[in-house]
Amino acid sequence: MSMEQAAKTPASAQRRRGGFTQHMNEISLFVAIAVLYIVFTATAGGFMTFNNQINILRDAATIGIAAWAATLIIISGEIDVSVGPMVAFISVALAYLLQWGVPTPIAFVFAIAIGAALASIAGILRAYFDVPSFVATLGLWSALRGTALFVTDALPVSIGRNDIVDMLDRPVLGVPPAAIIMLALFAVFAFVSRKTAFGRSVFAIGGNPHAAFLSGINVSRIRVALFAIAGAMAAVSGILLLSRLGSGNATAASGLEFDVIAAVVVGGTALSGGRGSMLGTLLGVLVITLIGNGLVLLGINPFFQQVVRGLIIVIAVLANIQAIKRGAARNKG
Amino acid sequence: MMNTAASQSPERTIIASIDGCTKRYPGVLALDNASFDVAAGEVRALLGKNGAGKSTLIRMLTGAEVPDTGTVRIGGEELTQSGSARAQEAFSKGVRVVYQELSLVPGMTLAENLFLGRWPRKAGILSYAEMETQAQEAMARLGLDLPPSRLVTGLSPAERQLLEIARVLLGKPRLVILDEPTSSLAAAEAEKVMTAVKRVASEGIAVIYVSHRMNEIRRISQSATVMRDGRIIDTVDVAGADTREIVRLMLGSEAAQAAKLETKTRESVVLEVAQLALAPKLSSISFKLRQGEVLGIAGLLGSGRTELLQAIMGVTSFDRGTVSVDGKPVGRPNYRRMLDAGFGYTPESRKEEGIVPLLGVDENTVSTNFFTVSSYGVLSARRMADATRRVIQRLHVKTAETDTPIGTLSGGNQQKVVIGRWVHANSRILLLDEPTRGVDVEAKAQIYAIIRQLAAEGRSIIFVSSEIEELPLVCDRVVVLREGTLKEEFTSPDIDQDAVMAACIVGH
Repeated sequence: MSMEQAAKTPASAQRRRGGFTQHMNEISLFVAIAVLYIVFTATAGGFMTFNNQINILRDAATIGIAAWAATLIIISGEIDVSVGPMVAFISVALAYLLQWGVPTPIAFVFAIAIGAALASIAGILRAYFDVPSFVATLGLWSALRGTALFVTDALPVSIGRNDIVDMLDRPVLGVPPAAIIMLALFAVFAFVSRKTAFGRSVFAIGGNPHAAFLSGINVSRIRVALFAIAGAMAAVSGILLLSRLGSGNATAASGLEFDVIAAVVVGGTALSGGRGSMLGTLLGVLVITLIGNGLVLLGINPFFQQVVRGLIIVIAVLANIQAIKRGAARNKG
Repeated sequence: MMNTAASQSPERTIIASIDGCTKRYPGVLALDNASFDVAAGEVRALLGKNGAGKSTLIRMLTGAEVPDTGTVRIGGEELTQSGSARAQEAFSKGVRVVYQELSLVPGMTLAENLFLGRWPRKAGILSYAEMETQAQEAMARLGLDLPPSRLVTGLSPAERQLLEIARVLLGKPRLVILDEPTSSLAAAEAEKVMTAVKRVASEGIAVIYVSHRMNEIRRISQSATVMRDGRIIDTVDVAGADTREIVRLMLGSEAAQAAKLETKTRESVVLEVAQLALAPKLSSISFKLRQGEVLGIAGLLGSGRTELLQAIMGVTSFDRGTVSVDGKPVGRPNYRRMLDAGFGYTPESRKEEGIVPLLGVDENTVSTNFFTVSSYGVLSARRMADATRRVIQRLHVKTAETDTPIGTLSGGNQQKVVIGRWVHANSRILLLDEPTRGVDVEAKAQIYAIIRQLAAEGRSIIFVSSEIEELPLVCDRVVVLREGTLKEEFTSPDIDQDAVMAACIVGH
């Protein structure tokens, strides 16, 4: 009895501190977002307007929807760099489907299926042929962008008038549908990652793939599924892109993959796998979007904006790593 | 009695000596007033079971540890430094260790590996010609005839081991310590390494050879030092010593007589393995496992115990043979199918393959069967906590909460969870690979009790262990794995530690 108590006290103390460290990440991101709001409200004219806030939400959707899936992929110890070209490719493919007169809802389903199927090629290469996911998705990155550009000659593929597509860009009570879809998907992903065997298996695979395999988790199948989900999410982004631009565009979403990875990493998900959270990514997406939005409003030279963004991302991750290290040291001591 | 064999030859040049060394770690007396020496040109075997103090003795010689009392001399000079400078000091006096974990870079050439980090240079540019000439010479000294420009990838384990030894020889050592150099090798391969060790000694280098394979020891050493409980028990003349006598020295006389186990073994055979072969370790393995039986598999490090379990489980495929479950052959075992058939497997390396350290005890437990803790595909926090609590209670896991990260638990408690996840999955045939490795004494006793209890419930268990003394405490029956087949068989209560150990280490 006394022994159990003795064992209990330090362990629970450790856990409390562990919990604090875990939330430390989210807390510091909240602080960062608050600081960004204060700074931009004070310095950037038009930042705190309703319209601009809606813009921020809509921009966040582009990164966010892809970032939810990317979070799971990175937690599982993998990486997906094919997001940008996938979004562009799907917008082009969807535009053609609509031009050919495929009924809009069916075209949407096709688009999502194409995204999932293409991305699962990378997943299969990773899971069954041991091709590193970076290489597999890099190949996809190049091939998808190339195909879209080749087929369209880099020209927009217009779709004409389409009520359903237009509806996706019409604000509901002032809120763009893209933002609503992003938040709904966030809820789904947050739930899946915490409350389903699939989600917990993703954490187990990222934390220790051998142990996950030996306890009977179907590691290969889950890896393929993760990439398929990422492809489907990129397709959703592609659909929203089409509705926003009114055309399929092979050159769109350039560099999106880096914003997505940056948001996930800023959100505290470890690139080495096994650790991360959806809430962290949500906050990370907000940070990345706010920086982009604020710098534009401040009228900073667009080339220099990239420098500032790069610095902020690296500093955010550096601060996060330091916080985790300090937390771990405290746990030990 | 001390050093009887060693003191026979008159013109010994002592290379390294330890005089009256004691080393105490918290809770353990790792080295107890030990005195030891080794002479030039001598191959000294070092024997002792796990925890006997062999590693501590080696760490004294390499300067990795400072003794609490006593002195260490290399080449007649005492080691005086402390901290990392001491290891440097021992190194500069010519002490080299070849460890079991090989430290070669597979993608570089043999020559580059031999000179790793101190490549010969001319005006700042690597001189490959010189490197390769020297490498060729160094390898030839050990009878390793390979082009120095080829890559390490594709070398056999023995060739890699020889390369490691060659690398050590380049530094002109005076004392070379080999820690179970043949444990990962098949018999024919081990031959090459032994020949090389003989050559090393013939050059006047002192060799300490840690091994338990008596046939090897008999062939390359004159004398063997036996350790037990941190003490040097004796140094015997290998030629005159009988294996049983050496075993007695290793295990001591206090080997506790095991209480008679209450066996619940039933007639029905749940698992039968026939003529299983997997080159190069396993040549022909046949055995039967009955319901409610705990079958111990004893064998030295590298005898193929892990390979056998993994072959049965379908983690690796085997060359020949059949595996039958409940009398029906399963064809090619496939890991997931074996799990469905009611098997459970716990790996030898708990940290690398057993646990997901960042996840909670609960998730590490229910990962074998999410279905029973979900409703409509959604994990139920309450059911997960209940299932975990049941396992925690049954297996006496000490944890603050059910969702405490498993990485913060002690090794013993982690191991109980790793076994417990198969209790959660309700597996009826458990294959446990070294379940008590790196676990404290109290947890060991609990694990034995858990295993007996699981067997009493009608589960069948294969218990692999390199700690001979625990076999009589847990097993209804023990078979000895040696030279690729199962040799002697012992049945409780006649599982005699000395006899099992002798069967493990005896020669051809």
